[in-house]
Amino acid sequence: MISIKNIFIKLGQLDRRFIFILIGLSVLIPLIKPNWVNIPIKTTQNTQIVFNELNKLKEGDKVLVSFEYGASTKPEIHPMSVAVLQHLFAKGIKVYTIPLWPEGLMMAKYALEEVIESNLFNLNEHIDYVSLPYKAGGEVIIRGIATDLRTVFTQDVNNILLKEIPMMKGVNRVSDFDFVFDLSAGVPGNAEWVQFACDEHKVPLSSGCTSIMVTDAIPYVESGQIRGILAGMPGAAEYEQMVFKYLNENKDFIIKDAVVLPGKATSRMSAQSIAHVVMVIFIILGNISYYILRKRIKNA
Amino acid sequence: MKRQIAYFLVIFIGFLTLLGHFVNYPTLNNFIDNDATQWFDIIAAFAAFLGVINLLQLHLNKIVYKRKNWNYSIVTLGGFFIMIFFGFVFNGSSVSLGAHLKEEGSAFFWMFQNVYLPLGATMFALLAFFVASASYRAFKIRNFEATLLLISGVLLMIGRVPIGQLIPWWMSLEIYICLFFAIIASRIKNKKYLFYSLFITMICLPILIFSLGLNSLYIFKIPEIQEWIMDVPATAGSRAIMIGIALGTIAQSYRIITGRERSILGD
Repeated sequence: MISIKNIFIKLGQLDRRFIFILIGLSVLIPLIKPNWVNIPIKTTQNTQIVFNELNKLKEGDKVLVSFEYGASTKPEIHPMSVAVLQHLFAKGIKVYTIPLWPEGLMMAKYALEEVIESNLFNLNEHIDYVSLPYKAGGEVIIRGIATDLRTVFTQDVNNILLKEIPMMKGVNRVSDFDFVFDLSAGVPGNAEWVQFACDEHKVPLSSGCTSIMVTDAIPYVESGQIRGILAGMPGAAEYEQMVFKYLNENKDFIIKDAVVLPGKATSRMSAQSIAHVVMVIFIILGNISYYILRKRIKNA
Repeated sequence: MKRQIAYFLVIFIGFLTLLGHFVNYPTLNNFIDNDATQWFDIIAAFAAFLGVINLLQLHLNKIVYKRKNWNYSIVTLGGFFIMIFFGFVFNGSSVSLGAHLKEEGSAFFWMFQNVYLPLGATMFALLAFFVASASYRAFKIRNFEATLLLISGVLLMIGRVPIGQLIPWWMSLEIYICLFFAIIASRIKNKKYLFYSLFITMICLPILIFSLGLNSLYIFKIPEIQEWIMDVPATAGSRAIMIGIALGTIAQSYRIITGRERSILGD
Protein backbone atom coordinates (compact mmCIF):
# COMPACT_ATOMS: atom_id res chain seq x y z
CA MET A 1 0.00 0.00 0.00
CA ILE A 2 2.82 2.37 0.94
CA SER A 3 4.60 1.65 -2.34
CA ILE A 4 1.42 2.45 -4.30
CA LYS A 5 1.13 5.71 -2.40
CA ASN A 6 4.76 6.50 -3.18
CA ILE A 7 4.12 5.89 -6.88
CA PHE A 8 1.19 8.31 -6.76
CA ILE A 9 3.33 10.90 -4.96
CA LYS A 10 6.02 10.55 -7.62
CA LEU A 11 3.41 10.83 -10.37
CA GLY A 12 2.15 13.98 -8.72
CA GLN A 13 5.62 15.52 -8.77
CA LEU A 14 6.44 14.77 -12.38
CA ASP A 15 8.93 17.01 -14.08
CA ARG A 16 7.18 19.54 -16.28
CA ARG A 17 9.26 18.47 -19.30
CA PHE A 18 7.69 15.01 -19.06
CA ILE A 19 4.22 16.62 -19.13
CA PHE A 20 5.26 18.69 -22.14
CA ILE A 21 6.39 15.55 -24.01
CA LEU A 22 3.12 13.74 -23.26
CA ILE A 23 0.99 16.73 -24.30
CA GLY A 24 3.13 17.12 -27.44
CA LEU A 25 2.63 13.47 -28.37
CA SER A 26 -1.10 13.55 -27.59
CA VAL A 27 -1.44 16.46 -30.03
CA LEU A 28 1.04 15.28 -32.62
CA ILE A 29 -0.09 11.67 -33.09
CA PRO A 30 -3.77 12.45 -33.93
CA LEU A 31 -2.59 15.24 -36.26
CA ILE A 32 -0.18 12.98 -38.12
CA LYS A 33 -2.51 9.96 -38.12
CA PRO A 34 -6.07 11.32 -37.96
CA ASN A 35 -7.51 7.92 -38.87
CA TRP A 36 -6.19 6.37 -35.66
CA VAL A 37 -8.50 8.49 -33.54
CA ASN A 38 -11.81 9.07 -35.23
CA ILE A 39 -14.28 10.63 -32.81
CA PRO A 40 -17.74 11.58 -34.11
CA ILE A 41 -18.61 15.27 -33.74
CA LYS A 42 -22.05 16.22 -32.46
CA THR A 43 -23.49 19.63 -33.33
CA THR A 44 -24.20 21.94 -30.43
CA GLN A 45 -27.17 24.29 -30.30
CA ASN A 46 -25.21 27.50 -30.91
CA THR A 47 -23.52 26.13 -34.02
CA GLN A 48 -26.89 24.95 -35.33
CA ILE A 49 -28.32 28.46 -34.81
CA VAL A 50 -25.43 30.00 -36.81
CA PHE A 51 -25.98 27.51 -39.62
CA ASN A 52 -29.74 28.09 -39.68
CA GLU A 53 -29.32 31.88 -39.69
CA LEU A 54 -26.91 31.83 -42.65
CA ASN A 55 -29.02 29.20 -44.37
CA LYS A 56 -32.04 31.53 -44.25
CA LEU A 57 -30.24 34.01 -46.55
CA LYS A 58 -31.18 34.05 -50.21
CA GLU A 59 -29.22 34.33 -53.45
CA GLY A 60 -27.91 37.87 -53.97
CA ASP A 61 -28.12 38.81 -50.29
CA LYS A 62 -25.23 40.89 -48.97
CA VAL A 63 -23.12 39.64 -46.08
CA LEU A 64 -20.35 41.58 -44.38
CA VAL A 65 -17.65 39.26 -43.01
CA SER A 66 -15.36 40.92 -40.50
CA PHE A 67 -11.88 39.52 -39.89
CA GLU A 68 -10.50 40.24 -36.43
CA TYR A 69 -7.85 37.66 -35.87
CA GLY A 70 -4.20 37.18 -36.64
CA ALA A 71 -1.41 34.70 -36.97
CA SER A 72 -1.61 33.47 -33.37
CA THR A 73 -5.29 32.55 -33.53
CA LYS A 74 -5.32 31.47 -37.17
CA PRO A 75 -5.37 27.71 -36.41
CA GLU A 76 -8.52 28.16 -34.32
CA ILE A 77 -10.49 30.72 -36.34
CA HIS A 78 -9.36 30.20 -39.90
CA PRO A 79 -11.18 26.87 -40.48
CA MET A 80 -14.47 28.53 -39.53
CA SER A 81 -13.71 31.49 -41.86
CA VAL A 82 -13.29 29.09 -44.77
CA ALA A 83 -16.40 27.09 -43.83
CA VAL A 84 -18.52 30.25 -43.50
CA LEU A 85 -17.28 31.61 -46.84
CA GLN A 86 -17.97 28.25 -48.53
CA HIS A 87 -21.49 28.23 -47.08
CA LEU A 88 -22.15 31.78 -48.30
CA PHE A 89 -20.77 31.22 -51.79
CA ALA A 90 -22.72 27.96 -52.05
CA LYS A 91 -25.88 30.01 -51.65
CA GLY A 92 -24.90 32.67 -54.21
CA ILE A 93 -24.52 35.34 -51.56
CA LYS A 94 -22.43 38.47 -52.13
CA VAL A 95 -19.57 38.65 -49.64
CA TYR A 96 -17.89 41.83 -48.39
CA THR A 97 -14.78 41.24 -46.28
CA ILE A 98 -13.41 43.81 -43.89
CA PRO A 99 -10.36 43.51 -41.62
CA LEU A 100 -10.46 45.36 -38.32
CA TRP A 101 -7.08 44.03 -37.26
CA PRO A 102 -3.94 44.78 -39.32
CA GLU A 103 -3.37 41.04 -39.77
CA GLY A 104 -7.04 40.55 -40.63
CA LEU A 105 -6.30 41.79 -44.14
CA MET A 106 -4.00 38.83 -44.74
CA MET A 107 -6.38 36.43 -43.02
CA ALA A 108 -9.22 37.53 -45.31
CA LYS A 109 -6.92 37.10 -48.31
CA TYR A 110 -5.88 33.61 -47.16
CA ALA A 111 -9.48 32.55 -46.50
CA LEU A 112 -10.70 33.78 -49.89
CA GLU A 113 -7.72 32.16 -51.63
CA GLU A 114 -8.42 28.87 -49.89
CA VAL A 115 -12.04 28.95 -51.06
CA ILE A 116 -11.03 29.91 -54.62
CA GLU A 117 -8.32 27.23 -54.74
CA SER A 118 -10.81 24.57 -53.61
CA ASN A 119 -12.20 24.91 -57.17
CA LEU A 120 -15.74 24.51 -55.90
CA PHE A 121 -17.05 27.86 -57.07
CA ASN A 122 -16.66 30.10 -60.05
CA LEU A 123 -15.81 33.27 -58.14
CA ASN A 124 -14.96 36.67 -59.53
CA GLU A 125 -13.72 39.62 -57.54
CA HIS A 126 -16.11 42.60 -57.54
CA ILE A 127 -18.94 40.32 -58.73
CA ASP A 128 -19.07 37.73 -55.98
CA TYR A 129 -16.89 39.34 -53.35
CA VAL A 130 -15.23 42.62 -52.41
CA SER A 131 -12.32 43.02 -50.02
CA LEU A 132 -12.20 46.27 -48.11
CA PRO A 133 -8.83 47.50 -46.78
CA TYR A 134 -7.66 47.77 -43.18
CA LYS A 135 -8.29 51.03 -41.35
CA ALA A 136 -7.01 51.78 -37.88
CA GLY A 137 -9.61 52.67 -35.28
CA GLY A 138 -11.42 49.49 -34.28
CA GLU A 139 -14.80 50.41 -32.84
CA VAL A 140 -14.68 53.83 -34.52
CA ILE A 141 -14.45 52.10 -37.88
CA ILE A 142 -17.42 49.89 -36.90
CA ARG A 143 -19.30 53.07 -36.00
CA GLY A 144 -18.31 54.55 -39.36
CA ILE A 145 -19.58 51.47 -41.22
CA ALA A 146 -22.81 51.71 -39.25
CA THR A 147 -23.51 55.29 -40.31
CA ASP A 148 -21.65 55.97 -43.55
CA LEU A 149 -19.32 53.36 -44.98
CA ARG A 150 -18.31 55.61 -47.88
CA THR A 151 -16.68 58.20 -45.63
CA VAL A 152 -14.52 55.51 -44.04
CA PHE A 153 -13.70 53.58 -47.22
CA THR A 154 -13.29 55.15 -50.62
CA GLN A 155 -11.55 52.26 -52.36
CA ASP A 156 -11.17 48.51 -52.00
CA VAL A 157 -8.05 46.57 -51.15
CA ASN A 158 -6.81 46.79 -54.78
CA ASN A 159 -7.19 50.59 -54.78
CA ILE A 160 -10.29 50.42 -57.01
CA LEU A 161 -12.76 53.18 -56.17
CA LEU A 162 -15.85 51.79 -54.46
CA LYS A 163 -18.11 53.81 -56.78
CA GLU A 164 -16.64 51.86 -59.72
CA ILE A 165 -17.44 48.46 -58.19
CA PRO A 166 -20.89 47.19 -59.25
CA MET A 167 -21.25 45.09 -56.09
CA MET A 168 -20.96 48.23 -53.97
CA LYS A 169 -24.02 49.86 -55.56
CA GLY A 170 -26.52 50.62 -52.82
CA VAL A 171 -24.10 49.65 -50.08
CA ASN A 172 -23.60 52.74 -47.94
CA ARG A 173 -24.05 51.65 -44.35
CA VAL A 174 -24.44 48.59 -42.19
CA SER A 175 -28.21 48.50 -42.64
CA ASP A 176 -27.65 47.84 -46.36
CA PHE A 177 -26.24 44.43 -45.47
CA ASP A 178 -28.53 41.49 -44.84
CA PHE A 179 -26.20 39.91 -42.32
CA VAL A 180 -22.92 40.55 -40.53
CA PHE A 181 -20.62 37.69 -39.63
CA ASP A 182 -17.80 38.43 -37.24
CA LEU A 183 -14.67 36.29 -36.93
CA SER A 184 -13.02 37.51 -33.83
CA ALA A 185 -10.14 36.78 -31.48
CA GLY A 186 -10.20 39.88 -29.30
CA VAL A 187 -11.02 43.58 -29.34
CA PRO A 188 -12.56 44.95 -31.52
CA GLY A 189 -14.72 41.88 -31.88
CA ASN A 190 -18.28 40.65 -31.65
CA ALA A 191 -19.15 42.82 -28.62
CA GLU A 192 -18.17 45.98 -30.52
CA TRP A 193 -20.27 44.94 -33.53
CA VAL A 194 -23.26 44.54 -31.19
CA GLN A 195 -22.68 47.83 -29.38
CA PHE A 196 -21.73 50.12 -32.26
CA ALA A 197 -23.55 48.77 -35.30
CA CYS A 198 -25.75 45.70 -35.49
CA ASP A 199 -27.98 46.12 -32.43
CA GLU A 200 -28.79 49.77 -33.11
CA HIS A 201 -29.38 49.26 -36.85
CA LYS A 202 -31.19 45.92 -36.46
CA VAL A 203 -28.82 43.93 -38.64
CA PRO A 204 -28.56 40.24 -37.73
CA LEU A 205 -25.13 39.26 -36.46
CA SER A 206 -23.44 35.92 -35.84
CA SER A 207 -19.94 35.30 -34.68
CA GLY A 208 -17.13 32.80 -34.62
CA CYS A 209 -14.51 33.30 -31.94
CA THR A 210 -11.77 31.65 -29.92
CA SER A 211 -12.81 29.32 -27.08
CA ILE A 212 -11.43 31.75 -24.52
CA MET A 213 -13.73 34.54 -25.78
CA VAL A 214 -16.93 32.52 -25.53
CA THR A 215 -17.70 33.46 -21.92
CA ASP A 216 -17.54 37.16 -22.85
CA ALA A 217 -19.79 36.69 -25.88
CA ILE A 218 -22.35 34.33 -24.31
CA PRO A 219 -24.46 37.12 -22.68
CA TYR A 220 -25.03 38.61 -26.15
CA VAL A 221 -25.89 35.17 -27.53
CA GLU A 222 -28.35 34.51 -24.71
CA SER A 223 -30.03 37.88 -25.31
CA GLY A 224 -30.30 37.18 -29.06
CA GLN A 225 -28.04 40.11 -30.02
CA ILE A 226 -25.62 37.58 -31.48
CA ARG A 227 -27.43 34.80 -33.31
CA GLY A 228 -25.51 31.71 -32.32
CA ILE A 229 -21.78 31.41 -31.95
CA LEU A 230 -19.05 29.18 -33.32
CA ALA A 231 -17.02 28.50 -30.22
CA GLY A 232 -13.36 27.84 -30.98
CA MET A 233 -12.07 24.77 -32.71
CA PRO A 234 -15.05 22.56 -31.68
CA GLY A 235 -17.46 25.11 -33.15
CA ALA A 236 -15.39 25.26 -36.34
CA ALA A 237 -15.36 21.46 -36.64
CA GLU A 238 -19.13 21.25 -36.11
CA TYR A 239 -19.76 23.96 -38.69
CA GLU A 240 -17.37 22.37 -41.18
CA GLN A 241 -19.30 19.12 -40.97
CA MET A 242 -22.62 20.87 -41.54
CA VAL A 243 -21.21 22.81 -44.51
CA PHE A 244 -19.63 19.63 -45.90
CA LYS A 245 -23.05 17.97 -45.85
CA TYR A 246 -24.71 21.07 -47.30
CA LEU A 247 -22.20 21.35 -50.17
CA ASN A 248 -22.73 17.71 -51.06
CA GLU A 249 -26.50 18.11 -51.11
CA ASN A 250 -26.84 21.58 -52.72
CA LYS A 251 -24.81 22.01 -55.87
CA ASP A 252 -26.58 24.99 -57.48
CA PHE A 253 -23.53 27.26 -57.27
CA ILE A 254 -20.87 24.56 -57.26
CA ILE A 255 -18.80 23.78 -60.35
CA LYS A 256 -19.86 20.52 -61.95
CA ASP A 257 -17.82 17.45 -60.85
CA ALA A 258 -15.98 19.50 -58.20
CA VAL A 259 -14.94 17.42 -55.19
CA VAL A 260 -15.97 18.66 -51.75
CA LEU A 261 -13.30 17.97 -49.16
CA PRO A 262 -13.77 18.02 -45.37
CA GLY A 263 -12.22 20.97 -43.52
CA LYS A 264 -9.15 21.15 -41.32
CA ALA A 265 -10.81 21.68 -37.93
CA THR A 266 -12.47 18.24 -38.00
CA SER A 267 -9.12 16.43 -38.02
CA ARG A 268 -7.72 18.81 -35.39
CA MET A 269 -10.55 17.97 -32.97
CA SER A 270 -9.14 14.49 -32.29
CA ALA A 271 -5.87 16.12 -31.21
CA GLN A 272 -7.72 18.53 -28.92
CA SER A 273 -9.84 15.70 -27.47
CA ILE A 274 -6.82 13.56 -26.60
CA ALA A 275 -4.91 16.55 -25.20
CA HIS A 276 -7.87 17.43 -22.94
CA VAL A 277 -8.12 13.85 -21.68
CA VAL A 278 -4.39 13.79 -20.92
CA MET A 279 -4.74 17.07 -19.00
CA VAL A 280 -7.66 15.68 -16.96
CA ILE A 281 -5.62 12.55 -16.15
CA PHE A 282 -2.77 14.77 -14.94
CA ILE A 283 -5.18 16.81 -12.81
CA ILE A 284 -6.54 13.61 -11.20
CA LEU A 285 -3.01 12.30 -10.55
CA GLY A 286 -1.97 15.65 -9.13
CA ASN A 287 -4.93 15.60 -6.74
CA ILE A 288 -4.33 12.04 -5.53
CA SER A 289 -0.71 12.93 -4.84
CA TYR A 290 -1.76 16.14 -3.08
CA TYR A 291 -4.27 14.20 -0.93
CA ILE A 292 -1.70 11.59 0.13
CA LEU A 293 0.94 14.20 0.90
CA ARG A 294 -1.49 16.35 2.89
CA LYS A 295 -2.52 13.30 4.93
CA ARG A 296 1.12 12.41 5.62
CA ILE A 297 1.88 15.94 6.76
CA LYS A 298 -1.19 15.89 9.02
CA ASN A 299 -0.18 12.55 10.58
CA ALA A 300 3.39 13.69 11.07
CA MET B 1 -3.08 78.21 -19.80
CA LYS B 2 -1.88 75.29 -21.97
CA ARG B 3 -3.52 72.84 -19.61
CA GLN B 4 -6.73 74.83 -19.38
CA ILE B 5 -7.08 74.78 -23.18
CA ALA B 6 -6.58 71.01 -23.13
CA TYR B 7 -9.22 70.60 -20.40
CA PHE B 8 -11.59 72.88 -22.28
CA LEU B 9 -11.17 70.78 -25.45
CA VAL B 10 -11.76 67.51 -23.57
CA ILE B 11 -14.85 68.86 -21.80
CA PHE B 12 -16.28 70.54 -24.92
CA ILE B 13 -15.81 67.54 -27.24
CA GLY B 14 -16.98 65.17 -24.49
CA PHE B 15 -20.26 67.02 -24.00
CA LEU B 16 -20.71 67.48 -27.74
CA THR B 17 -20.34 63.74 -28.36
CA LEU B 18 -22.70 62.94 -25.53
CA LEU B 19 -25.28 65.42 -26.83
CA GLY B 20 -25.13 63.81 -30.27
CA HIS B 21 -26.73 60.69 -28.84
CA PHE B 22 -29.65 62.58 -27.25
CA VAL B 23 -30.33 65.56 -29.53
CA ASN B 24 -31.70 64.98 -33.02
CA TYR B 25 -29.91 67.80 -34.84
CA PRO B 26 -28.48 66.76 -38.27
CA THR B 27 -25.34 68.94 -38.11
CA LEU B 28 -24.46 67.57 -34.68
CA ASN B 29 -25.32 64.00 -35.67
CA ASN B 30 -23.21 64.35 -38.79
CA PHE B 31 -20.28 65.57 -36.71
CA ILE B 32 -20.54 62.63 -34.31
CA ASP B 33 -21.08 59.97 -36.98
CA ASN B 34 -18.71 61.19 -39.69
CA ASP B 35 -16.36 64.05 -38.78
CA ALA B 36 -15.44 62.70 -35.36
CA THR B 37 -14.70 59.32 -36.98
CA GLN B 38 -12.34 61.00 -39.45
CA TRP B 39 -10.66 62.90 -36.61
CA PHE B 40 -10.13 59.66 -34.77
CA ASP B 41 -8.51 58.12 -37.88
CA ILE B 42 -6.07 61.04 -38.12
CA ILE B 43 -5.24 60.92 -34.40
CA ALA B 44 -4.83 57.11 -34.60
CA ALA B 45 -2.29 57.58 -37.42
CA PHE B 46 -0.27 59.94 -35.21
CA ALA B 47 -0.60 57.51 -32.32
CA ALA B 48 1.10 54.88 -34.50
CA PHE B 49 4.08 57.23 -34.93
CA LEU B 50 4.16 57.83 -31.19
CA GLY B 51 4.15 54.06 -30.67
CA VAL B 52 7.12 53.67 -33.01
CA ILE B 53 9.07 56.42 -31.24
CA ASN B 54 8.25 54.89 -27.87
CA LEU B 55 9.36 51.44 -28.99
CA LEU B 56 12.66 52.81 -30.30
CA GLN B 57 13.31 54.88 -27.17
CA LEU B 58 12.53 52.02 -24.81
CA HIS B 59 14.64 49.39 -26.52
CA LEU B 60 17.54 51.67 -27.46
CA ASN B 61 17.75 52.77 -23.82
CA LYS B 62 17.75 49.16 -22.72
CA ILE B 63 20.60 48.30 -25.10
CA VAL B 64 22.68 51.40 -24.36
CA TYR B 65 22.48 50.95 -20.56
CA LYS B 66 22.58 47.13 -20.82
CA ARG B 67 19.50 46.72 -18.64
CA LYS B 68 18.04 43.30 -17.78
CA ASN B 69 17.40 41.16 -20.92
CA TRP B 70 18.87 43.89 -23.13
CA ASN B 71 19.91 41.32 -25.74
CA TYR B 72 16.24 40.57 -26.52
CA SER B 73 15.81 44.25 -27.39
CA ILE B 74 18.34 43.78 -30.21
CA VAL B 75 16.09 41.06 -31.65
CA THR B 76 13.01 43.30 -31.28
CA LEU B 77 14.68 46.24 -33.02
CA GLY B 78 16.18 43.93 -35.65
CA GLY B 79 12.72 42.54 -36.49
CA PHE B 80 11.27 46.06 -36.49
CA PHE B 81 13.87 47.46 -38.91
CA ILE B 82 13.73 44.42 -41.21
CA MET B 83 9.94 44.77 -41.56
CA ILE B 84 10.28 48.56 -42.07
CA PHE B 85 12.85 47.87 -44.79
CA PHE B 86 10.63 45.33 -46.56
CA GLY B 87 7.54 47.48 -46.06
CA PHE B 88 8.85 50.88 -47.15
CA VAL B 89 12.10 50.37 -49.08
CA PHE B 90 12.58 46.96 -50.65
CA ASN B 91 9.73 45.58 -52.73
CA GLY B 92 10.86 42.35 -54.42
CA SER B 93 7.77 42.08 -56.64
CA SER B 94 6.48 43.67 -59.83
CA VAL B 95 3.66 45.65 -58.17
CA SER B 96 4.06 49.13 -56.70
CA LEU B 97 4.99 49.83 -53.09
CA GLY B 98 1.94 49.60 -50.85
CA ALA B 99 0.18 47.03 -52.99
CA HIS B 100 3.20 44.73 -52.47
CA LEU B 101 2.19 44.11 -48.85
CA LYS B 102 -0.32 41.47 -49.92
CA GLU B 103 1.37 40.46 -53.15
CA GLU B 104 2.74 36.94 -53.18
CA GLY B 105 6.38 37.12 -54.21
CA SER B 106 7.13 40.37 -52.39
CA ALA B 107 9.72 40.23 -49.60
CA PHE B 108 7.21 41.57 -47.07
CA PHE B 109 4.65 38.88 -47.94
CA TRP B 110 7.36 36.22 -47.71
CA MET B 111 8.35 37.43 -44.25
CA PHE B 112 4.72 37.50 -43.12
CA GLN B 113 3.92 34.05 -44.41
CA ASN B 114 7.13 32.26 -43.49
CA VAL B 115 8.31 34.04 -40.36
CA TYR B 116 5.54 36.00 -38.67
CA LEU B 117 2.71 33.51 -39.22
CA PRO B 118 4.53 30.40 -37.88
CA LEU B 119 5.99 32.40 -34.98
CA GLY B 120 2.55 33.72 -34.00
CA ALA B 121 1.01 30.26 -34.16
CA THR B 122 3.93 28.82 -32.16
CA MET B 123 3.52 31.38 -29.39
CA PHE B 124 -0.18 30.54 -29.09
CA ALA B 125 0.45 26.80 -29.32
CA LEU B 126 2.88 27.02 -26.38
CA LEU B 127 -0.14 27.90 -24.25
CA ALA B 128 -1.32 24.27 -24.44
CA PHE B 129 1.87 23.12 -22.71
CA PHE B 130 1.80 25.80 -20.05
CA VAL B 131 -1.91 25.29 -19.35
CA ALA B 132 -1.31 21.53 -18.99
CA SER B 133 1.57 22.04 -16.58
CA ALA B 134 -0.23 24.80 -14.65
CA SER B 135 -3.51 22.90 -14.31
CA TYR B 136 -1.60 19.83 -13.13
CA ARG B 137 -0.04 21.86 -10.34
CA ALA B 138 -2.75 24.41 -9.53
CA PHE B 139 -6.07 22.51 -9.88
CA LYS B 140 -6.02 21.06 -6.35
CA ILE B 141 -8.88 20.30 -3.98
CA ARG B 142 -7.67 22.80 -1.36
CA ASN B 143 -11.01 24.28 -0.31
CA PHE B 144 -14.63 24.54 -1.46
CA GLU B 145 -13.98 27.28 -4.05
CA ALA B 146 -10.97 25.48 -5.50
CA THR B 147 -12.99 22.26 -5.71
CA LEU B 148 -15.78 24.07 -7.54
CA LEU B 149 -13.24 25.51 -9.98
CA LEU B 150 -11.65 22.11 -10.48
CA ILE B 151 -14.94 20.31 -11.13
CA SER B 152 -16.26 22.93 -13.56
CA GLY B 153 -12.86 23.12 -15.27
CA VAL B 154 -12.72 19.37 -15.80
CA LEU B 155 -16.36 19.22 -16.98
CA LEU B 156 -15.70 22.02 -19.46
CA MET B 157 -12.48 20.45 -20.70
CA ILE B 158 -14.20 17.14 -21.36
CA GLY B 159 -17.58 18.55 -22.43
CA ARG B 160 -16.16 20.94 -25.03
CA VAL B 161 -14.48 18.20 -27.08
CA PRO B 162 -16.15 15.36 -29.01
CA ILE B 163 -14.73 12.73 -26.66
CA GLY B 164 -17.11 14.06 -23.98
CA GLN B 165 -20.06 12.85 -26.03
CA LEU B 166 -18.72 9.30 -25.89
CA ILE B 167 -18.78 9.15 -22.10
CA PRO B 168 -21.78 6.97 -21.14
CA TRP B 169 -24.31 8.02 -18.52
CA TRP B 170 -23.15 5.44 -15.98
CA MET B 171 -19.58 6.71 -16.09
CA SER B 172 -20.80 10.24 -15.35
CA LEU B 173 -22.80 8.82 -12.45
CA GLU B 174 -19.73 6.98 -11.11
CA ILE B 175 -17.77 10.24 -11.30
CA TYR B 176 -20.48 12.02 -9.28
CA ILE B 177 -20.48 9.24 -6.68
CA CYS B 178 -16.68 9.42 -6.37
CA LEU B 179 -16.81 13.21 -6.05
CA PHE B 180 -19.52 12.97 -3.39
CA PHE B 181 -17.50 10.47 -1.36
CA ALA B 182 -14.32 12.53 -1.83
CA ILE B 183 -16.14 15.50 -0.28
CA ILE B 184 -17.57 13.56 2.69
CA ALA B 185 -14.45 11.37 3.21
CA SER B 186 -12.91 13.67 5.81
CA ARG B 187 -16.06 13.49 7.98
CA ILE B 188 -16.18 9.68 8.18
CA LYS B 189 -13.56 8.26 10.49
CA ASN B 190 -14.09 4.56 9.76
CA LYS B 191 -12.38 4.20 6.38
CA LYS B 192 -13.50 0.57 5.96
CA TYR B 193 -17.12 1.68 6.31
CA LEU B 194 -16.50 4.49 3.83
CA PHE B 195 -14.95 2.12 1.29
CA TYR B 196 -17.83 -0.40 1.53
CA SER B 197 -20.41 2.40 1.21
CA LEU B 198 -18.63 3.71 -1.88
CA PHE B 199 -18.42 0.23 -3.42
CA ILE B 200 -22.10 -0.57 -2.81
CA THR B 201 -23.26 2.84 -4.04
CA MET B 202 -21.17 2.52 -7.20
CA ILE B 203 -22.89 -0.78 -8.01
CA CYS B 204 -26.43 -0.21 -6.76
CA LEU B 205 -27.10 3.41 -7.77
CA PRO B 206 -26.53 2.90 -11.54
CA ILE B 207 -28.85 -0.15 -11.44
CA LEU B 208 -31.48 1.87 -9.57
CA ILE B 209 -31.17 4.83 -11.94
CA PHE B 210 -31.42 2.54 -14.96
CA SER B 211 -34.45 0.64 -13.62
CA LEU B 212 -36.24 3.94 -12.93
CA GLY B 213 -35.47 5.09 -16.48
CA LEU B 214 -33.62 8.20 -15.25
CA ASN B 215 -30.45 7.47 -17.20
CA SER B 216 -31.41 9.85 -20.01
CA LEU B 217 -31.41 12.88 -17.70
CA TYR B 218 -29.21 15.81 -18.81
CA ILE B 219 -27.22 15.63 -15.59
CA PHE B 220 -25.60 12.40 -16.82
CA LYS B 221 -24.47 13.93 -20.12
CA ILE B 222 -21.21 15.85 -19.73
CA PRO B 223 -21.64 18.01 -22.89
CA GLU B 224 -25.09 19.09 -21.61
CA ILE B 225 -23.65 19.98 -18.21
CA GLN B 226 -20.88 21.91 -19.95
CA GLU B 227 -23.50 23.86 -21.92
CA TRP B 228 -25.43 24.55 -18.72
CA ILE B 229 -22.27 25.85 -17.03
CA MET B 230 -21.66 28.15 -20.00
CA ASP B 231 -25.28 29.27 -20.29
CA VAL B 232 -26.10 29.86 -16.62
CA PRO B 233 -23.23 30.47 -14.16
CA ALA B 234 -20.73 31.70 -16.78
CA THR B 235 -23.31 34.02 -18.38
CA ALA B 236 -24.33 35.37 -14.97
CA GLY B 237 -20.69 36.03 -14.10
CA SER B 238 -19.98 37.65 -17.48
CA ARG B 239 -23.07 39.85 -17.20
CA ALA B 240 -22.05 40.97 -13.72
CA ILE B 241 -18.58 41.89 -15.02
CA MET B 242 -20.07 43.67 -18.06
CA ILE B 243 -22.46 45.71 -15.92
CA GLY B 244 -19.60 46.55 -13.56
CA ILE B 245 -17.41 47.70 -16.44
CA ALA B 246 -20.27 49.74 -17.93
CA LEU B 247 -20.93 51.50 -14.63
CA GLY B 248 -17.20 52.13 -14.22
CA THR B 249 -17.01 53.54 -17.74
CA ILE B 250 -19.95 55.89 -17.07
CA ALA B 251 -18.37 57.10 -13.82
CA GLN B 252 -14.95 57.58 -15.41
CA SER B 253 -16.42 59.32 -18.48
CA TYR B 254 -18.41 61.64 -16.20
CA ARG B 255 -15.22 62.48 -14.30
CA ILE B 256 -13.36 63.18 -17.57
CA ILE B 257 -15.99 65.39 -19.21
CA THR B 258 -16.53 67.38 -16.02
CA GLY B 259 -12.79 67.97 -15.68
CA ARG B 260 -12.40 66.01 -12.42
CA GLU B 261 -10.16 63.30 -13.87
CA ARG B 262 -6.76 64.89 -14.49
CA SER B 263 -4.67 61.79 -15.10
CA ILE B 264 -5.56 61.90 -18.82
CA LEU B 265 -3.21 64.88 -19.21
CA GLY B 266 -0.46 63.25 -17.21
CA ASP B 267 -1.20 64.95 -13.84
